Amino acid sequence: MQLYLGGHLNWYEPCKRGWITVPLAETTPLAAVLARLGVPASEVAIVTINRRVVALQDARVSDGDTVELYPPIGGG
Amino acid sequence: MNYGSHGKLLRINLTHGTIESETFDESFYRLYPGGKALAAYLLLREVKPGCNPLGPANALILANGLLTGAPISTATRFTAAARSPLTGGYGESEAGGFWGPELRLAGWEGIIVTGRAEHPVYIAIRDDRVAIRDARHLWGREPEEAQATIREELVDRLTRVLQIGRGGENLVRYAALTNELRHFNGRAGMGAVMGAKNLKAIAVRGSGRYAAIAHDPQAIAEIGRRLAKQAKEHPQSWDLQEKGTPGLVSGLNAAGILPTRNFHQGAFDGVDQVRWEVYEKELLTARRSCYACAVRCKREVEVHDRYDVSSSYGGPEYEAIGGFGPNCGVDDLQAVAKANELCGRYTLDAISTGSAIAFAMECFEHGLIGPQDTDGLDLRFGNAAAMVKAVEWIGERRGIGDLLAEGVKRAAEVIGGDARYFAMHVKGQELPMHDPRGKVGVGLAYAISEVGAEHLSAYHDPAIANPNSITFKGAMPLGITEPLPARDLSPQKVAYYYKLENWSSAGKAIGFCYFGPAPRSFISAADTVAAVRAATGWDWTVEDLLRVGERATNLARVFIVREGFSRTDDVLPERLFQPLENGALQGVALSHADFEAAMTELYRLKGWDSVTATPTRERLEALDIGWAADLI
Repeated sequence: MQLYLGGHLNWYEPCKRGWITVPLAETTPLAAVLARLGVPASEVAIVTINRRVVALQDARVSDGDTVELYPPIGGG
Repeated sequence: MNYGSHGKLLRINLTHGTIESETFDESFYRLYPGGKALAAYLLLREVKPGCNPLGPANALILANGLLTGAPISTATRFTAAARSPLTGGYGESEAGGFWGPELRLAGWEGIIVTGRAEHPVYIAIRDDRVAIRDARHLWGREPEEAQATIREELVDRLTRVLQIGRGGENLVRYAALTNELRHFNGRAGMGAVMGAKNLKAIAVRGSGRYAAIAHDPQAIAEIGRRLAKQAKEHPQSWDLQEKGTPGLVSGLNAAGILPTRNFHQGAFDGVDQVRWEVYEKELLTARRSCYACAVRCKREVEVHDRYDVSSSYGGPEYEAIGGFGPNCGVDDLQAVAKANELCGRYTLDAISTGSAIAFAMECFEHGLIGPQDTDGLDLRFGNAAAMVKAVEWIGERRGIGDLLAEGVKRAAEVIGGDARYFAMHVKGQELPMHDPRGKVGVGLAYAISEVGAEHLSAYHDPAIANPNSITFKGAMPLGITEPLPARDLSPQKVAYYYKLENWSSAGKAIGFCYFGPAPRSFISAADTVAAVRAATGWDWTVEDLLRVGERATNLARVFIVREGFSRTDDVLPERLFQPLENGALQGVALSHADFEAAMTELYRLKGWDSVTATPTRERLEALDIGWAADLI
């Protein structure tokens, strides 16, 4: 799975990368992937899987998916 | 005892060539402690109702924030205010950079410029020595050249220069001021006011130290050091340092609120060509800062490829990318960077310029204007070269650019027909690149702001949507206790908006950049209070600061009421009540009934008459500005 950590979400990823590759052996709840990566779900405001917006609690991801995550975007 | 101010204003009448100093005391400063608060007060006092914004009777006010020049990250801003030539109402715009802090170190809290010089001049300030100098040889010169010449003439390469380019000289109604070539008082046409005064620049050099006016210099230094460290360690300010505002593009697109093709759409099919990763790879040459700021959110770009873009004028912020990119249907980031650079050269507000071109593109596609009106320029959405050329023509007031330089409201009146539906403005000022259909509090801000559509007059709704988020926790000290969705428009949301507006307004009085205080960034409400206390010695609380913010907004409101504005001017463009055509919020629109009910509730909370949108005497007296009730 290709995962994009937008805004300040990639602050939580040790290497501070935007796009990262997350190998997935099977379909997995996205929340579990985030927990493994150390990205707090409380900071995630927008989730897209293959460009479609989904709710984090319902999101399940598979290898080959392109996933983008963004925090609350406060303007400026 | 020091209270964080020199208590001194500089008054310059360009008609008579007079230079005077004016003093105020601590009790005055407690009521109007800098920035927006001081500027709004001075503007009301200096400008008679009905004055020609481009005539000698208008005043240009430049006012430092309470903390501006303190060694505290993001406390860099000063306010420029005048009767706006774009809206005819209250004109105000804040800029960071270096000019405001330098003015503070020169011993001045602000400048009042009145009159009109007989020929182009510039003002040179070195501490308490002030001179009006001939600028005929600088008129028509680009900012980079003008700045270098002024520094040469003053034999001081460190003098800070606030100035206008040809857009200001040509009285483009949304011309900006620039300092250090890349920090802008962008909005409301302050550059045209300066141009109309035949004032090319104000150069400032100060030899003072902020510590000399601080109540507790040691505490200020300690807070400054701690916040500088925090700026690097806080996720939100880290993000601003890493990506700056260009990082917002892809997230807003995903959320379905990236203004696209003049606000018809909320998602852009070319977003992958204008997102941060392309910016970083193709354009970025450096990350820069304002005075004493550890956030370092400013970008510098340079490119010599499809376009030649100089690094001298900084780099496009989100607003410029959104405005010249998706909102014009343009997916070429180099063209966006060129348009932004031209705004720097001509000193044009990038938001209004981009919006004016998007408006023209929609008019062109609907046949309201044609090649005969545009000197053959094919002004269709997506035509990057035409978009760039249009910026230049606006700055020069050439051809169709002359009409667009008037702003979309006036241009629509001239073009006629359906053009008024394509003019995305409030009170005559063009919309920034945030769509209220996805964050409705921004709609309240656009509608009620005394300046016209403005995106920094309150913190945006997503900040208070999730109870466990950093932003929500940052908003809690303001009395925000319950999370509300970004599209919620309940009375509770209106009550929270009111707090967020007052907090943002207080930030403009303090001199904070929008990227300093929580909930948007890393400076907690407690640290804001601590910094103000250390600077002034005043035993102030969050409530006191909210009151400062509210007082400033009420002064601005009195100004526009005096100019004849009322509730019928606090309205959004009709397009926002039409459904978004694509993206995550496809089909979503604002509701007239819900929005008007929310506005009525907001007037009630503000203590304003809900029919006329006028502050009541009782509320003005409660804010200790009862005198202002006599003006309306």
